[in-house]
Amino acid sequence: MNDSNGEVLRTDLTSWTIGPYHGSLPAPMKLCLSLDGEIITDCEVETGFLHRGLEKACELHSWKATVAYADHLDPECAVFGELVLCLAVEQLAEIEVPLRAQCIRVVLAELARISGHLSFMVRMAKAVGSETIIHYLLRDREKILDLFELLTGARFSLNFLRYGGVSADVTDGFIERVLEVCELIRIRMKEYNDLFTFNFGFLKRTSEVAAISKNLVSHCGMTGPNARASGVSIDVRKVFPYSGYDRIDFEIPLGHGEGGVVGDVHDRFLIRLREITQSMEILKQLLDVVPAGDYMSTKCDQTSVIPPGESYVRIESSRGLLGCHVVSDGRNSPSRVQFRTPTVANLLAIPQIVRGIRIEDLPVVLASLDLGIAEADR
Amino acid sequence: MISAENSWIVAWGEAFGLPEGVPHWIYSAAALIFIFCFVIVPCGGLMSYFERKLSADLQARVGPNRAGPAGILQPIADLLKLLQKEARSEWNWKESLWLSVHTMALFSTLAVLPLGSMALLVNTEMSVFLPFWSALVLALGTMLLGLSQNSVPGWFGGIRVAAQTLAGSFPALISLLCTGVRSGSFRWSALAESQGFSPWDWTVVANPFQLVAFCVFVVSGLVLLAIAPLDGGLSMSDIHGGVSSHLYGMRLSLFRFGRFYGFFFWSVITVVLFLGAWDLPSQLVIPLRMGGAGRLLAFIELAWLLIKTFALMLLIIWIAKVNSRSRVDQITDFAWKVLSPFSLAALVGASLCAGWRAF
Repeated sequence: MNDSNGEVLRTDLTSWTIGPYHGSLPAPMKLCLSLDGEIITDCEVETGFLHRGLEKACELHSWKATVAYADHLDPECAVFGELVLCLAVEQLAEIEVPLRAQCIRVVLAELARISGHLSFMVRMAKAVGSETIIHYLLRDREKILDLFELLTGARFSLNFLRYGGVSADVTDGFIERVLEVCELIRIRMKEYNDLFTFNFGFLKRTSEVAAISKNLVSHCGMTGPNARASGVSIDVRKVFPYSGYDRIDFEIPLGHGEGGVVGDVHDRFLIRLREITQSMEILKQLLDVVPAGDYMSTKCDQTSVIPPGESYVRIESSRGLLGCHVVSDGRNSPSRVQFRTPTVANLLAIPQIVRGIRIEDLPVVLASLDLGIAEADR
Repeated sequence: MISAENSWIVAWGEAFGLPEGVPHWIYSAAALIFIFCFVIVPCGGLMSYFERKLSADLQARVGPNRAGPAGILQPIADLLKLLQKEARSEWNWKESLWLSVHTMALFSTLAVLPLGSMALLVNTEMSVFLPFWSALVLALGTMLLGLSQNSVPGWFGGIRVAAQTLAGSFPALISLLCTGVRSGSFRWSALAESQGFSPWDWTVVANPFQLVAFCVFVVSGLVLLAIAPLDGGLSMSDIHGGVSSHLYGMRLSLFRFGRFYGFFFWSVITVVLFLGAWDLPSQLVIPLRMGGAGRLLAFIELAWLLIKTFALMLLIIWIAKVNSRSRVDQITDFAWKVLSPFSLAALVGASLCAGWRAF
């Protein structure tokens, strides 16, 4: 290896830069790897390739239009961006949300969580090269997207939530169809377990790989399923309940190290699988008794100006703690909208956990972190 | 290298109306071209169609359904599409060289491929081992092909393929010996004669050790030739298919066809060694042979052999589709630490069984 700058290069290590676009990356990002043979000795992560200026765009548009931008925070699970922004603005403007609207919001959020976790499993399956399950998972996620379409008219960018409620009431048969889909996925769980959880090949690829310790979780500020897989019991739905989660009875699954080590790739996978079950439990409880009433706060006028002040709200998205800080100076548009996204913390953990693993495990580890680069770069 | 007692080409030459006195090497060359064009290539097309249809059925998809009835012409459409690819501007002579070496090593095995009692070009005590050396040369070619590409995926892919081949060849070789122990010879004809049409006469069920040897032979073949699901060397998710990551168009189709051929020839050999070869019921064979319908018999034998081969290949594809791809270090570990001891045990057991029978 020659170097024109006269800098001494270590010849025992190979350097390999992958990205911004590469098969092992879940989204546009760049990894500068140092390799000793096939073992990764060092890794630098570079992101920002998907920066769209969402927060700035929110400032340039009216309050009403910001919801559509929050939609694009994480295109895969659009509801969470909308929900956190609406909750922040409602807190700031002291808008009461009717119970029925809260219920519809939580239904959407939990469906989005299931859909997000199914997509996570698709990426895991791709990373370990297990082709068949990808199609099974996508087939089932399609059912959830159908539900979104039935309720909101859109499959991904819903733009359905409004300050003070939601933009439309549930249509006839929606509730029954949600329950049908829940039942379908409950049956399919066995299939997923057979093809993933109890599959010898999958266990070989995932157990004892890239474990995240509790220390690393707190050091990087990781939240969500990744933190819970390492045994850190943190869930915003329990700690700071919102939208009526306090009225619902559900459990927070934690990683126990079934694959060998607590917080390894297998634990991170299992957590998601169990959260899907919990989300279906939540949906069943919610849809048992849907409160009657308005789907939109009668006192809230969408054209009204939000009073000056600021608020910060956090929710549990499918990837972890999603926060939103909204500042209003009384004008027609927000003065500042800022999001705290869970993926940023997960990105911080990458260099720590990939050290010592093989290149073949890199896609698996990246997929297991469930990186939403769209929300990290925003 | 045409054995005297089995100069089937001469019989074929007569059947096709070739004049007598033509040198044997012309017959051999003609036979090789014939086998390649009329057996291997159609099998490749058919198999890729079956594979896609089968995986589509497994994966709740439709699969190819546009080109021809039920999409049967899809392999041809794919080939034509790949051939139309525009050439890349930079030309890497090393890559071209190693691709041709790799391809030549691969198709040299055609000469030893057993395709029926009357289609044995090389039928000596060494014939079983010849595909083996070709497989090793093939791995070397693949490795150097990878190393000649100026890319990290190529390098890693090449090295991984070499590591896998080294690990897989030992158990494969040992389990191969088990069949020779039973039949008493490594001639293709002797191996086939020691078995019969009925599954109960196949080597695989002769005794438990042969069953172990069969399993080891199939699995170590997957390791040796890097066939899914043990194809870590050509992993898609991290190194973009390794050696094939930089190939395109014509070269890619050549490489892919070579991969198919490797899989195919290993399956054919497995069927010949363990699964009753081309053996047909004697009620069928004797009248045909006596009645002078040797060519018809050869075709029936070939068809029966290919049906069994395809069944074995589809079974492996089925397993590969549902399981995840294994890591290379796990594959080599598995080959050295699990397959090798089992193959040795199978060899000892098979030898004891053969000795017991001899007394």
